[in-house]
Amino acid sequence: MIRNKKSFFIKLALIIVSGLCVYLFGKNDAFLYHQEIGRVVQEKTRATHETVDEFNNYDEVTEQVLELELLNGDHKGEKITVKNHYSLSGGITQAYHQGQSVFLTLHKNKNHTIYQISHYKRDVYLMMLAWLVVVLLLLTTELQAFRTILSVALNFALFILFIEIDVQWNLTYFFWLFAVSAVLFTALSLALVIGLNRQFIVTFSSVFLGTSLALVIGVIVLKLTQSQGVHYEALNFATQSPIQLFLSATLIGVLGAVMDAATDIVSTVFEVKRATPNLGAKALFQSGQQVGRAVMGPLINVLLLIFFAETFTMAILFFRTGNSMAYTFEWTIALGVVQTLISGIGIMLTIPLASFISAKMLGGMNNDSH
Amino acid sequence: MTAISVLGIILCLLMVLVGGKSGFISFLSLICNFFILFVTVILIAGGFPAIWVSFFAGICILAITIYMGNNDERSTNVAFKATFIVMLMMLVLIIPFNHWAYLQGFSPEQSSEIEAFNILIGVNFREIAIATTMLSTLGAIAEASIAIASGLEEIIEHHPGIGLVGLFKSGKNIGFQIMGMTLNTLFFGLFGGDLALFVLLYKLDASFGYYLNSKIFVMECFRVLYSAIAVVAVIWITTYLMGRRINHYRRSTDRIK
Repeated sequence: MIRNKKSFFIKLALIIVSGLCVYLFGKNDAFLYHQEIGRVVQEKTRATHETVDEFNNYDEVTEQVLELELLNGDHKGEKITVKNHYSLSGGITQAYHQGQSVFLTLHKNKNHTIYQISHYKRDVYLMMLAWLVVVLLLLTTELQAFRTILSVALNFALFILFIEIDVQWNLTYFFWLFAVSAVLFTALSLALVIGLNRQFIVTFSSVFLGTSLALVIGVIVLKLTQSQGVHYEALNFATQSPIQLFLSATLIGVLGAVMDAATDIVSTVFEVKRATPNLGAKALFQSGQQVGRAVMGPLINVLLLIFFAETFTMAILFFRTGNSMAYTFEWTIALGVVQTLISGIGIMLTIPLASFISAKMLGGMNNDSH
Repeated sequence: MTAISVLGIILCLLMVLVGGKSGFISFLSLICNFFILFVTVILIAGGFPAIWVSFFAGICILAITIYMGNNDERSTNVAFKATFIVMLMMLVLIIPFNHWAYLQGFSPEQSSEIEAFNILIGVNFREIAIATTMLSTLGAIAEASIAIASGLEEIIEHHPGIGLVGLFKSGKNIGFQIMGMTLNTLFFGLFGGDLALFVLLYKLDASFGYYLNSKIFVMECFRVLYSAIAVVAVIWITTYLMGRRINHYRRSTDRIK
């Protein structure tokens, strides 16, 4: 009992100390950046202008003068003043307060340099939240947590690598590049979750077939309807062919959900076969479908919420600037809905495929089970 | 016919083919959630307080996702209660962190999309950001909570004499088996959607340091991290509530005897 208490306090102390370390590091990591960083030491609010646009939206723009202390670079320790404008609603601009740090851009004239605020320094909060997640995962499952973190980290690294290849090669049909990346993502995640065995082969092939079929159906429908009501130009951040970017995003976006459904189904069918070895293919198929029926609704809803929430801010901007409901829907929300629908079709195709393939593979093996 | 209606009909047909009646009900739940989200956007744009509107929308979405298509009363009630508590917890976490990191509105990378607009539209972008972040985690917690509650229900049925300690252990086991996959779903869902953004950031030759501080990148990372926290929390709370429910039930049956 005493030992338990002791280990509890050691754990608690470790959590607090590590959290403090992360926080202090994040607050004082200016020396790691090349770009100049300044900390606000004094703020003065100047004039406030009221604005009303043609849709009667009331807002305010305020000017503030900030005194900053430079935290890195050749002029470290020097004090400078910059002006900052911010709006009450805070759509793009923001007010800065004492103790906050900002990145600066320099404009060099003949004799003196003019500083301007480029963006807010928020890395410390990202570190703190990441720390919180790692602590929570470690507290709950020591070993499995590492596997989960490893899987996400590896996938992220692979994701960045493929984006680099995409930018470097600048292919015309870059969708195929991301299609290859999707195959690798699937193989990597499934190998980490279920290991390289028969179950892996079944899950992988049903995910592959289900997702490809869903995309083919999606593309055919979009072609036949001439993408009526869908505007690829509305895709945010598009720097390449928007149609291909949209399809690539949909493909990668649905992977996780499809893998989720497929692993649930395949592992259940394998488990059922282990428990009752003389079950036939038909019964196994049915039990796979049973699992699929339970997970399909929640899984598609997960994607709907993710894809819809991403369009929220833009949709509000459209509504507030006098656009009609139909127009706003077409130009902001429609893409998210198409993404959800194609993803849903992918999940729905994977369910029978996973049940069928695993049932076929196990159903005919009554004889060699003991 | 528009592309959306054709795709919607195909999805509906597939859901009915695979799931029969319950498939159709799941499709209806999807439609209901869509309309709730759409009305939420309209109300927020109309000037209603964003956090309250999406709080009530969130309760409706949770109820629809959990109760439509699941028949077992005990596990659905527990799942609903657990997700509701987690939603409140997430608000308590999201509000200060979003405030500190100043994650709201539009990022400089979006300037080409919004340059046609006057951005001074007098809404509270802070509340909108909090609302959308909270809503995007709801699907994942609802899914995790149902999976654990119904899994535990199954275990209680097969081992009626299971103790609280055993139940917690099973809850943890089920929970963290599904957690890996749920995090994958979220990771691909969120980052897949941001593909275009990442290509753009890469083309801008952004340094690693810029990523760590840019509004849009941190915003997307926060969503993944919040969802991870929400999923862990919902696993704990669902298991705890399920155990309490069982204890309560046993005590009352003992008294009757």
